[in-house]
Amino acid sequence: MASADKPINTDVPEKDVFALHFLQSLSNLRRQNTFNSPEKTNDRVKKIKKAAYVSMARAAGGTNRLWSRALLRRAAKENNKVVRLPRRKKRVTCLRRRRSNRRDPVEEEEAERLRNLVPGGGGMETSKLMEETAHYIKCLSMQVKVMQCLVDGLAPK
Amino acid sequence: MDNELFMNAGVLSHPSEMTSLSSSSPPAMLNWASMETHPLEQSITRNVPRDCFFGEKSTEQSIFGSALNSLVSPPPSESNFSGGGAGENYVTRELVGDLGNIGDIYGAPASFGNGFGSCYATPMMSSPPLDAFSGDSRFAERAARFSCLGSRSFNGRRTNGPVAETASINGEMTRVSSNSALKPPAGESSGESSRKRKAKSKEHSPSTASPSPNLSKEVEGKEDSDSKRSRKSQENGENTKSLDPYKDFIHVRARRGQATDSHSLAERVRREKISERMKLLQELVPGCNKVTGKALMLDEIINYVQSLQRQVEFLSMKLSSVNTRLDFNMDALMSKDIFPSSNNQQVPQLESSSHILLADHHSHTLQLNPNDSSNNIMNPMETSESRSFNSQLPTLTHLTDSISQFSTYSEDDLHSIIHMGFAQNQIREPNQVHSTSFQGPSNQVPSHMKAEL
Repeated sequence: MASADKPINTDVPEKDVFALHFLQSLSNLRRQNTFNSPEKTNDRVKKIKKAAYVSMARAAGGTNRLWSRALLRRAAKENNKVVRLPRRKKRVTCLRRRRSNRRDPVEEEEAERLRNLVPGGGGMETSKLMEETAHYIKCLSMQVKVMQCLVDGLAPK
Repeated sequence: MDNELFMNAGVLSHPSEMTSLSSSSPPAMLNWASMETHPLEQSITRNVPRDCFFGEKSTEQSIFGSALNSLVSPPPSESNFSGGGAGENYVTRELVGDLGNIGDIYGAPASFGNGFGSCYATPMMSSPPLDAFSGDSRFAERAARFSCLGSRSFNGRRTNGPVAETASINGEMTRVSSNSALKPPAGESSGESSRKRKAKSKEHSPSTASPSPNLSKEVEGKEDSDSKRSRKSQENGENTKSLDPYKDFIHVRARRGQATDSHSLAERVRREKISERMKLLQELVPGCNKVTGKALMLDEIINYVQSLQRQVEFLSMKLSSVNTRLDFNMDALMSKDIFPSSNNQQVPQLESSSHILLADHHSHTLQLNPNDSSNNIMNPMETSESRSFNSQLPTLTHLTDSISQFSTYSEDDLHSIIHMGFAQNQIREPNQVHSTSFQGPSNQVPSHMKAEL
């Protein structure tokens, strides 16, 4: 039923790792010829945003985290690329929803919203979802810091 | 503490029997104590209401007998009642006969009790030999209870006297996994809280023989409705869950007065898990300490995640706009400790180079209008850069130098210059990324930059 509960691990790498990945992805973006054309701002923004998320996923969890896997998979799908993620020991795909248990309606509603926000949340049980959310929040805040630094660094004086 | 225990035990005293036992009692007591007075506890829990503790001796006798009967113990003739191993029932009966009411001895004056306390202490402190009692889950349960009783006193808990202990015992777990290795529950508090005592040590202590995978759901039929205990997620200092390599299941004790069917137990486990994670999230999300309640907390969390995602989007917009124009401030870039360097020295260097490259490339694609003046400028640049391309290290240095030198020039010029440098640098970039030698002089770059500017 319930598995033994190891202490929850929500470590995220240092800021540098995030920055490194993000900058690498950005420089990859630069190489695209269609990039940086001033007209298509929206496209550029979207690309940058996607690069940010993908680099964050790679930096933070690689394929060890559910949300990063889902993110990478989603991104690869958008590019029509096939991404093969190594199978983890636990079947992340098996949906264990115990319908028989009493479910707090309020909590479930919130959990649904959270599932929509966190990538890959749809296939998780609530407790696992919260673990992933915690890690996701940490990584997001780290990525935001990195981007803020970048913007500040490149901001016009 | 010992006194309390002995008071408890003393209730069971039977003066008549005591004398007969006196000779054999001390060693028997010692050894019997090593068996953690399982029968005592069991008897207490089972049949003896609170009053009985202080009163009836007849009941005590019967209780004691039954307790001993269920107790697995070595023959009383042997002086080492190490209490280990599967005993024979006849042994216990003999014990009953011989020892009568060990409680008597317990009830002996404090002096005796002190000795008792010591002998109590000894077996308890050493890992209880309950491991051997794996065969009998019931026994293990009683053993667990009784060991808790003993250990409670060991730990110097000032319970509210025997009453409290009784109450807590009554509120004892309905079931104990047949793990026999019981560790004295450290975190006990008196009275009611002792009920919720983290006797999880009992539940979670590694089970040497845990046959059924559904031990967590196993509930002793008898005490079901009355005495339940909820599983505490925090053992005082010991995370027994982690100690158990065999068990995959968490042993849950149902709370007193609540249902014990497997569904609700599982539900409780699940809820506790969720609350544990909620606490974790609460620390992460700023300003969530005041908010209590799952719904509000989740609201806060969702808002926070949304705000973070919006921030990412906003920053990416800003980044895209910032990079469209080159306002090249190398000084600011290099001197500012944008990315605090960690142990990994290579990373910041790469970032600094990436900075330059990023900005360069952006500006390049935008406005590439080489004029004559820029051509002149470019030529020396080319030569310098071509020279530098032979070695990786100077490349970046040169580039930044030239950039800094020409920072006063027009944007167009800069763009073209940078484009030249960048196009050539791009080839080098992968090498630069991985070159360890890059780290050395790269330290000089910022200073160099500053000097230039």
